[in-house]
Amino acid sequence: MASLRDDEFMTKIADAVELSEAEPAPARLKARLYSALVQQQVQTGPLMSLSETRTSGHQLCVFEQLVRIAPVGEKAKSLNICRVCHARVLAEHLDNPPIYWSGCPYVALKKS
Amino acid sequence: MQRLEQQPFDQRPTAGSPSSEDLELVAGVLRKDRKATAEFVARYADALYGYVRSRLAPQYEHVEDLVQEVFLTSWQSLSQYRGAGPLKAWVMGIARHKVEDYYRERLRAPESIENADLEPDKSTSVPEMYRLLEQDELQKNTQRVLAALPEQYRLVLLWRYWERASAREMALKTGKTEKAIERLLARARAEFRERWNHGQSS
Repeated sequence: MASLRDDEFMTKIADAVELSEAEPAPARLKARLYSALVQQQVQTGPLMSLSETRTSGHQLCVFEQLVRIAPVGEKAKSLNICRVCHARVLAEHLDNPPIYWSGCPYVALKKS
Repeated sequence: MQRLEQQPFDQRPTAGSPSSEDLELVAGVLRKDRKATAEFVARYADALYGYVRSRLAPQYEHVEDLVQEVFLTSWQSLSQYRGAGPLKAWVMGIARHKVEDYYRERLRAPESIENADLEPDKSTSVPEMYRLLEQDELQKNTQRVLAALPEQYRLVLLWRYWERASAREMALKTGKTEKAIERLLARARAEFRERWNHGQSS
């Protein structure tokens, strides 16, 4: 009877079995990842302004759109306004947050 | 700054090359375009989560923190991405390093199973190994046995056989001697084999 030593046995098992799990990341984790990334981006300077974001072809959410058209300077349009948005709080804590409006990154992550 | 170019995180051969989409996405994230940043998360979160989860199973409490570390490190290093390969492979390479860091940290802890009897490498018959020929069953059995092992045994096997690190690399990274790692591996393999053969998960 052919036999395998433990090392060969493990090597064959590892070659045959791919352990990656197909389970998708929870939506609240995606929301937290996005918030953490944007927060870190803010620490090294302003975000791309909402006007530029729109010019580059992205859709803005209703709140971003309000800030974009408000009579405020470009500096205010480069703030992380999601930080004070209820959508962020809901998305970071619920896997199916009740947020539906278009252009919101948290809604997009919920659907991804 | 040269490290990523000369020694990419992802050491395994990867198929494909970066798409213009990858390069556009990177440029957008670097310009701090919040929508590009959301796209970056949407595109890679599932793959990273699945990978990290599989490497930490069955102890899932650190998975989310580790995935977040991967994203933050990716952001910090993104300016060094030159498109030498697909962005996904680059990000997964960072994940591999984070998983290795996790293994290293956990294996640096004093071994609680140091004095376990070490049996010499035993032979395992081919029929025993392939008693479970079906891929699904092979996968389930492997996951079951790994999950039932003591943490140090599980991590050392994952690191050695699934992450393909040599005993020497593992020794260097954990600050242990190569011989100590070999001994730990031998015990882990023997325990794996025992549980595999006898179907004992506890």
